[in-house]
Parts: sequence; C-alpha cells; structure tokens
Amino acid sequence: MRLLPFEYAVRNLGRSTLRLVLSVLGSFLVVMLVIAAVAFVRGMEKSLIGSGSPDNVILLGAGSAESVERSELSPSVAGLVSASVPGIKTKLGLHYVSPEVHMSLVISARAGEDSTSSAVIRGVTPTAYLVHKQLRIVQGRAPLRGHDEVMVGQLAATRIGWQPEALEVGKTLWFDNRPWTIVGAFAASGTVMDAEIWCPLTDLQIAAKRDSLSCVILTLDGADFSDVDIFASTRLDLEIIAIREDQYYRQLVSFYRPIRLMVWVTASLIAMGGLFGGLNTLYAAFAARFREMGMLQSLGYSRAAVALSLMQESVLISLTGALLASAVALILLEGVAVKISMGAFGLVLDAPTLAIGLAAGLILGVVGAIPPTLNCLRQPIAEALKSA
Amino acid sequence: MIQCEKVTKEYHKGDNVIRPLDGLDLEIPSGHFLALMGPSGSGKTTLLNLIAGIDSPSSGTLRVDGLDLSGLSRGKLAAWRSQTIGYIFQLYNLVPVLTAYENVELPLLLHSMSRKERHRRVAGALDLVDLADRHSHYPRQLSGGQEQRVAIARAIVADPKVVVADEPTGDLDRDSASAIMALLQQLNRVLKKTLIMVTHDPKTADYADQTLHLDKGKLMDGRAASSGSALDDEVTP
Ligand SMILES: Nc1ncnc2c1ncn2[C@@H]1O[C@H](COP(=O)(O)OP(=O)(O)O)[C@@H](O)[C@H]1O
Ligand SMILES: [Mg+2]
Repeated sequence: MRLLPFEYAVRNLGRSTLRLVLSVLGSFLVVMLVIAAVAFVRGMEKSLIGSGSPDNVILLGAGSAESVERSELSPSVAGLVSASVPGIKTKLGLHYVSPEVHMSLVISARAGEDSTSSAVIRGVTPTAYLVHKQLRIVQGRAPLRGHDEVMVGQLAATRIGWQPEALEVGKTLWFDNRPWTIVGAFAASGTVMDAEIWCPLTDLQIAAKRDSLSCVILTLDGADFSDVDIFASTRLDLEIIAIREDQYYRQLVSFYRPIRLMVWVTASLIAMGGLFGGLNTLYAAFAARFREMGMLQSLGYSRAAVALSLMQESVLISLTGALLASAVALILLEGVAVKISMGAFGLVLDAPTLAIGLAAGLILGVVGAIPPTLNCLRQPIAEALKSA
Repeated sequence: MIQCEKVTKEYHKGDNVIRPLDGLDLEIPSGHFLALMGPSGSGKTTLLNLIAGIDSPSSGTLRVDGLDLSGLSRGKLAAWRSQTIGYIFQLYNLVPVLTAYENVELPLLLHSMSRKERHRRVAGALDLVDLADRHSHYPRQLSGGQEQRVAIARAIVADPKVVVADEPTGDLDRDSASAIMALLQQLNRVLKKTLIMVTHDPKTADYADQTLHLDKGKLMDGRAASSGSALDDEVTP
C-alpha cells in the first residue's frame, strides 16, 4: 500500500491553531490525570509492598492479624522467642528481635491544644534499627530512652497534615499529655515507617500506661518461618500468631482496594470525557475535509492510506499532549507525598508510570480517531467529492 | 477506447429510485476530446465518475481499453485510477496545506519512482501549465486560474491515458477560462490524452472534437448514441 506522506499529517495539524491547542490540551489533561492516578496507586502499593521484608516475621496477638495497632501481646514474648527459636539472626550476641508498640495517637504542637491530628507512633528498642534495614537516620540522632524524645519520618508531616516545619528537629510536640522533643529525622523510603514517629518503647509505654506490646518483629537467619510458626502455635499460653512480614503487608494492600478502585473509576470517567471531547473535535475537523479525502482517493490512494494519515494526525496530537503531560508531571509531581486516611506515601513517577501515561496518550489518539475516520471513509468517493 | 454498454446507475431512496444514468451506450475512441453538456442533474458528473472508476454502474458494462472495470476490486480499481485517470474538478480540490509542487507530486507518490525522476516530472508538469515560478506557493496564494492550472498539472503528472474534467472553467472568469481551455486542448492535441469534459458553456464545448447532450440519464445526440461510435469529428452540432 502506498502511504500519504507523513508530512501531510503534520501539516494538517496547522489547519486550525485553536483546534490544535485545544486538542493537545485535552490529551495533556487526560494523560496528566492517568499519570497522577498511576503514580498514586503505585505509590500506595509500593509503600506497603516495600514495607515487608521476606526475612522478617511478625508476632501478633492472636485474633488481630489484620492490624498491628489493635494487637496486644505480653512483653515477655521478645525474650522467649529469642531463647526458644534457634536460627534468629544475631549480631555481636544481640538477637534481631524487636519488641514494638504501635499506636495511633492524637498529637498537637502545643500543650492543651485542641487537635484532631493523629499520628502513628511506634515505640522501639535499639534492635528495631537492626530489623528494619530500610530505615536511615538522615538528621539528628535516635531518641534516647527516658528523655521523652522522638524522631520523625520524612512523610510524618504529610500523614498528620501539618507543615513540614512543625516537625523540624528541635521542635516539640505533644501527645499523651506530655511534650516530646524531636531529636532526629529518618527516612525509610517506600515503606509505611516513613510516615511514622518513633520513640523509645518504654517511654511510650509509660506515657500510654500500658505494658503490653503490639508486636514483636524478628529477622530470620538459619531458621525457617515454620520454626517461628511452630513456636507461636505451641506456646498457647502466649496467645500469639506468626506471620511473614511481606505477607502481612500484602494482605494490607487488599484494604486499599476500594481506594484504588475509586481512583481508577474517577480517572477512567474523566479520561472518557476527554476521549469524547476529542472525538467531537476530530469529527468536525475531519468532516470539513470530506471533499479532500474524496480527491485523494480519486488519485488512487486507498481508504486505508487516508485512514492511516488521519490516524497519524490524531496520534501526533495525543502524543504531543502526553509528552507535555509527562514533562509537567515530572516537574510538578516528582517527590510529592500524599495523605490518605490510612497513611501517607510518595507518588511514584518512574519509567513504568510514565510509560503507562504515554500508552494512554497513544490509545487516546488511536481510539479517538477510529470513529471520525470511519465516518469519513464510510461514504463513497463520488459523494465525498460533492460535499461542501 | 472507452465503451459504455447499457450503463445504468440507480440510487434507492426509500421507495424512490433515482436513475442518473439510464441504459447509456457510448464509445469514446482514444485520443478523442468529448464535451458533455446537459441540464443540472442530468447525470454528467455521474458518467464522469463511472469512467474515472471512482463509482461503479448499477448495471451494464464499462470497459476502458478492453478492461471491464466492474471486475476490479476496490484496491485494484484505486491502482488502476492512479495509472490511467487524471481528474480535474470544478473547485480544483488542491490540498491547502501543501504547496503547488507538493500537490502535483501527490499522484506520483503512488508510483515507484526515484526522487529525481519525480522532481523531473513535477517540474515538467508545472512548466507545462506555466507555473514554473510558483513551486512553493500554497493554493491560497494563487488565483483561481492558477489553482486550476496546478490541478491540471496534478492530473497529467502521472501521464494517464484519460483525463476527465468536471466543469473545469465553471468557477473562472473568461480570460482564465480560455487559458485553461487552451491548455486542455493542448493536452489532447499534443499529449494525445483522451479528454472528457463536462461543461455548461457552449463556447467552452467548442474546444472539443464533439459535444454530446445528456438529459435525464440518456444521450440526446441521436447519431452518436445509437451508432455507438463518436469517431466522426463532424457530429458536433
Ligand atoms: N449519491 C447520490 N444519491 C442519490 N442521488 C444522487 C447521488 N448522486 C447523484 N444523485 C442524483 O443523480 C442525478 C445526477 O447527478 P449528477 O450526475 O451529479 O448531475 P450533473 O449532471 O449535474 O452532474 C441528480 O438528480 C442527483 O440528485
Ligand atoms: Mg455535476
């Protein structure tokens, strides 16, 4: 098949500047939206998937497998599991066993302030830094026991809904009726920890007047998950269950499904709107050229050749919009953190996200061109030549 | 040689049947210059479109140099058009976003041809219509007469045997019209193209070897229609 020159499709873009600008803008908005939706959903899932390490096992209070925050178990579990299960990772005689308290607490910047902000506070011992390899202290130091000190994750402010300045090192914040000094900041990119506030375990236990733990997290070395699992299920007195950390977070992903669905539905609806808007524009633009398309066919160009040229034109528009959207997304959305009711995470603007955006632009261009193109080519050449 | 045998074209609009061509018999020898006249709606454009292979008869046969066009697939017919037919329209139908040169080049892109050969042909065609100095002009930068000359260059650049023209001077002033007619006559006399032209204007028709009148889908010129031959130059009324 002999094709029309690509140049013809390119030049056709210039027939109406207004149409060009509007249709590129339409594609830009649709692709921008798709990129934002994908970056959001991928960020959300990555923060959960990335939180779990395959070598880690979480011990939770029986009957609370879906939530660490609701789980309670005896403080003796940490010592017992270290002593009973061989093959837990050690370093200089220290077992990689981290007893932790996870609480969602109302926090405020000043004493007695009426606050509706809540934060996930995690009380930890020094072994937490062994077990959670993803965590790095980026500023200041770890909080010291007995001083009511905390350190904050880099997305904690987003999660709480505060300005980042409120959580700067040196500032004070209030929860459980006492002031806590921020002595450090940490990063645990792509995990839920990134949005948390950490303090020494005992300090949190005292403040919250509890002595139970939320969980014990340990890192396996020679041992298998089944070794820990057997320990958990045979020590009936402890009322604990064991779950692989990565599996725990994977199961949390399913809680996010409604949000993900909502994002997709919203994005699809708006994209559909863009598609129909684009269809409309192309219908009008192509319909104004019926006679010309009849002429091209009278010369001997096949309908497929004419259709392909129209398709090229449409794809040129949509890809221009898509490239602009990718560039703007990289500038505006890169590094942006978002908060949802269940946590905070960073948008993921990586190659797959952008590739999905470009693919959406391509699909928009191809699918959007099909009905107007068929509309053009449906009519016989003789009739097309008669059109105004 | 173009041969129409009992060519009928029908359109069905609900219960109505519109018959722009009704059992038409016609033979046009190669190298002939035929003018078609007739009232509006008499089927002139329809006949031209059938001969040009962009429409097909409802019944009857139409042969061009012995080839029965109704036997060709849509794709074959398109390829045949690109080899055989040059079409000149009343409203020129130039592509507004292409230059005169690029407009004339369009039919050649359907043929295997080196860029150099293409350039030679396009330049030659534009030269022939006296627009050698307008290669890079866009249609909007040309007068109506010049646009039609570009369209003529486009119609002949691929060297087709048959050129059809549908009221080629219908939209032009007298002077431009006679320039166009002189050019068409030259295509017929010098380049030996078979030329079939629709016109409303008897003066324009005078340039042709023969004029036939269509009315309600039938040929009015008794001799040409019934003999099935229009070889005789003297039949022009
Ligand atoms: N696609 C079509 N559908 C229905 N009627 C048509 C169609 N094309 C042409 N006609 C009718 O056929 C008749 C002849 O048309 P045409 O060949 O264009 O006439 P003209 O002699 O003016 O060129 C007209 O009555 C016209 O309305
Ligand atoms: Mg007509």
